[in-house]
Amino acid sequence: MTKTKNATQLIACQQCDALYDTPILKQGQSAKCTRCGCLLAERKVDSIERSFFWSIAGIILSVPAIYLPIMGVALLGQYNQATLFDCILALIDRGFFMIATLVFLFTLAIPIVRLLGAFYITYSFKFNRLKPSLLYFFRAYHHLDNWAMLNVFMLGIVVSMYKLLDDTELSVNMGLLAFILWLICSTIASSALDQDYIWQELENEFGD
Amino acid sequence: MNLAIKTARKSGLALCPQCHKLNDMDPMIGNDTRIQCIRCHGMFYSRKPHSLQYTLAWNIAALIAFIPANLYPIMILYSMGIGESNTILSGISEFIDHGLYPIAVIIFTASIIVPLLKIIGLFLLVYRVHTGVRLRPDKHSKFYHALEFLGPWSMLDVFVVALLVAVVELGFVTSVAAGPAINYFTLTVIFTMIAANSFDPRLLWDKKEGCENAKEENDD
Repeated sequence: MTKTKNATQLIACQQCDALYDTPILKQGQSAKCTRCGCLLAERKVDSIERSFFWSIAGIILSVPAIYLPIMGVALLGQYNQATLFDCILALIDRGFFMIATLVFLFTLAIPIVRLLGAFYITYSFKFNRLKPSLLYFFRAYHHLDNWAMLNVFMLGIVVSMYKLLDDTELSVNMGLLAFILWLICSTIASSALDQDYIWQELENEFGD
Repeated sequence: MNLAIKTARKSGLALCPQCHKLNDMDPMIGNDTRIQCIRCHGMFYSRKPHSLQYTLAWNIAALIAFIPANLYPIMILYSMGIGESNTILSGISEFIDHGLYPIAVIIFTASIIVPLLKIIGLFLLVYRVHTGVRLRPDKHSKFYHALEFLGPWSMLDVFVVALLVAVVELGFVTSVAAGPAINYFTLTVIFTMIAANSFDPRLLWDKKEGCENAKEENDD
């Protein structure tokens, strides 16, 4: 009996398993493990509100970011431009199915699913529509943490622009702007999401 | 460094990796028993089972895939019907020839240094945890986090090739085709990411503690 009481008042470091009393944090504060220096717990400012609106912006921006051409090249009177989606289609055309699938997952599917997930979770919290299924949903959401690579793709765009600048006429299109804004929105939407708080609330609601 | 610190495991508790809830754990059960989290109902283990073996296996797979990734051409540039194929390294030397040093440094870091550093680093971590020789958990866990963070950035070269293939498509004038190396290179990156995921940094601290205890017993 004393043990179960203990477990609710204690937290452990995810990285080194050191045990601490649960710190009482105000919004914007965070606690670090004294042994390995990793983040132990934090309370984010206005987590639900911020994540909700940034994720709406991100979902809207994902459409132009994917369908507007990012950049185009011209050489000897020929012109061609490509969207994010064209990259995947071009890879399928040439028979690189594995790469096409992975590029699709890392730069399209996972970022969009993460945005929709963040939107759904914050929507449920904002309008008090908590369901037990959220437990499973939020758990699944975490598995995608490492696999969204929009920021890497952004660096890829910069590098290939440099490469093309050398011997072709390069034009930058609206798609790039939309992509940058999309990247910013999805980064903020996922980093504003306060996981400790959400788990705590879900536990209060559905815990046995 | 305070090694006498209490861990969840020693207090009969286990941390759920998904929702960070502390669960009561039967002290009799070992690492290989699945526990169901009382908060998120997910299944987990107190420590990732066979963590070192998995890390080692994925790491070896990554190392093997890294060899053809560097030998085959990653990109073929056609201009006026003449094809010119480039491997990762020859692509970098071309950047240097053109005087694009910052890009050369970025590509070299992302496609050569980071994968190699990850593979060698994880081998080192697995070795240190296995033997316990000169184990510095504080330093090594920071190193591990750096490796984990750097992982996805290796995909840079793959994205660059994907973009170039789609954008540079001017028929006979000039076009870009991806080479077979891109498959192997992507596999290398994915394998190192899975290898890093399989590693459990808590083993570093467990091992260190085990070593200290053994030493104390020997001193007595």
